Amino acid sequence: MASNTDKIICRCEDITESQVLEAIEKGATTADEVKRLTRAGMGHCQGRTCRRLVNQLLARRLGQRPEDQKPVTQRSPLQPISLKTLADS
Amino acid sequence: MKVPQNADIIIIGGGIVGAATGYHLARAGYRVRLIEKGFLCAGSTGRCIGGIRQQFTSQGSIRLMLESVRHFSSMKEELGVDVHWHPGGYLFLAHSPEKKEAFLANIAVQQSFGLKDVRWVDAYQAGQVAPGLNIDGLLGGSYCPSDGQAYPFAVVAGYAERIRSCGGLVNTFTEVTAIMQGGGRVKGVKTAQGTEYHADIVINAAGPWAREVGQMAGIEVPVEPERHEALITEGVEYLNIPMLVDYRADGGYFQQFRHNGQFIGCYSPVPNVPGHSTDSSYEFLSEMPKRMLKLVPALGPVKVIRQWSGSYENTPDGNPILDRSPLEGFYVIAGMCGHGFMLGPAIGRQAADFIKSGAKEPPIAEFALQREFSRQEAMK
Ligand SMILES: Cc1cc2nc3c(=O)[nH]c(=O)nc-3n(C[C@H](O)[C@H](O)[C@H](O)COP(=O)(O)OP(=O)(O)OC[C@H]3O[C@@H](n4cnc5c(N)ncnc54)[C@H](O)[C@@H]3O)c2cc1C
Ligand code: FES
Repeated sequence: MASNTDKIICRCEDITESQVLEAIEKGATTADEVKRLTRAGMGHCQGRTCRRLVNQLLARRLGQRPEDQKPVTQRSPLQPISLKTLADS
Repeated sequence: MKVPQNADIIIIGGGIVGAATGYHLARAGYRVRLIEKGFLCAGSTGRCIGGIRQQFTSQGSIRLMLESVRHFSSMKEELGVDVHWHPGGYLFLAHSPEKKEAFLANIAVQQSFGLKDVRWVDAYQAGQVAPGLNIDGLLGGSYCPSDGQAYPFAVVAGYAERIRSCGGLVNTFTEVTAIMQGGGRVKGVKTAQGTEYHADIVINAAGPWAREVGQMAGIEVPVEPERHEALITEGVEYLNIPMLVDYRADGGYFQQFRHNGQFIGCYSPVPNVPGHSTDSSYEFLSEMPKRMLKLVPALGPVKVIRQWSGSYENTPDGNPILDRSPLEGFYVIAGMCGHGFMLGPAIGRQAADFIKSGAKEPPIAEFALQREFSRQEAMK
C-alpha cells in the first residue's frame, strides 16, 4: 500500500506518507487520531507544515473533501517560547 | 437490518484502563467489545505525562506498581510496539524536616513490600542523581531508579491492536448513552447512534466520566474529575534527570522523555479545580516554567511548544475502584486518582482475572466499591 516515493509528511517528526497511510488503515479517521498514532503534528511547528498534507491524505483515503476534515485542536503557545521568557512574563 | 455482532464483554472507555483490561480478557479468549466515545486516548490517558512510579504508601498500590513496571518493561515484546519504556527513576524532593521524616518512613514501608531499590539520597547525592538540580534548601530526597516513563498513545494503540488481533472489536466515536438491564442483571448498552449491543458483562472504565456511566446503571461511583494542566517543550539532548517531584505548594512534577528529549510536566493546582473542564490557562503557562526553573535553572532556553489540560479522576480516599457492583455483571474499574497510566497495566490484569474467576470479593480489599473511604494515600 505504501507509495513508491515515500514522501515526508511531517518534517518536524520525520513521519512519512506510508506511516500516515498505515495509521489510516488501522482505523484513524481524523487528523487527531493520525497525530496520536504517528506523532505527525506533534513536532516543533505543531502541525503548521504537515496538517494540510495529513488532511489531504485522510480525505483521499476516506473519499471526503479536505475541507470536510475535522480540524485538530489548536493550543497555545502559538509559537515555541522559552521557559525563561514565560517565567519572566 | 445489520445485526451487530455480540460480545461476551463490553468495556466502556478507550483509555489505558479499558484497553489494558480488554487486552487481558481478549487474550484469555473472551469476545471483547471496547467502546469509546471519542478516539482512543481521548480522555485522561492522552493528556497524562507518562510517569510511572512504584513509590506509594499502601501495600495494594506498591504491589500493583511492581507488577505494572514488569509489564511496561516487557511491553515492546508483548505488544509488538515500542512504548518507549525507560527506567529513568523518580526523585521526590524534601525541603523540610517533616517531609524528610515522612519519606524515610515511606521508604521503610516500600522496602518491606518488595520495592528494594528505593532509597534516601542526601542533597549532594540528589544533585548527582539529577544533574543541574538546584539543591539550595534541599535536605535530600526519596529516589527510586527503577521508576520510569512510557508513551501513553503507543501503549493504548498496542493494547487495542492486540484486542483486534484476538478477534475483539474496538468502536471509536461511539458514545454509550444507556446501560440495559433486566432481572437484576446487566444486559448490554445503547449508544448515541441508537445501536444496542448485548453482553452479560459490562465494564465501566470511563475514567473521569465513571460517575456518569455508573448513573446510567443506577450505581453510585464516587469519582470526581479535577483539572490538571500540563506543558511540553521541544526536544533537547537527554540530561539524565529523573522525574522530579516537588510537593511544596509552589512545586510541580516534570521529566524528560528519553526517546525524544522533550520535557513534560504539571503541578497540582491549589485550590484544586473540580469538574470536567479541560481549558488551559495563561496562569499555568507562566507559572509552570517558574517552578521548573527554580529546580533546574539551566533549562531556561528550552522552548515550550504546547500546553493542554486533562482530568485526574479522584475518589474520596485516593485509591482506585476495582470491583463488581450490586448490578450483576456490571463492573467498575475507575478512579485512578491521577495514577491511572502507571497503574493501568496491572489493574487491567487484576480486573481480567477477577472477572474470569467470577469471585464475589474484589481482589484488593482497599479498592472495593463500597468501602469506608477514610484512609488517604500520602503520596498523592
Ligand atoms: C496533566 C495530567 C498528568 C498526568 N500524569 C500522569 C502520570 O504521569 N502518570 C500516571 O500514571 N497518570 C497520570 N495522569 C493520570 C492518568 O492520565 C489517568 O489516571 C488515566 O489516564 C486514567 O485512565 P482511564 O482509562 O481510567 O481514563 P481515560 O483515559 O479518561 O479513559 C476513559 C475513556 O472513557 C471514555 N468515555 C467516557 N464516557 C463514555 C461513554 N459514555 N461512552 C463511551 N466512552 C466513554 C472517554 O472518552 C475516555 O477516553 C495524569 C493526568 C493528567 C490530567
Ligand atoms: S511538520 Fe509536522 S509538526 Fe511540524
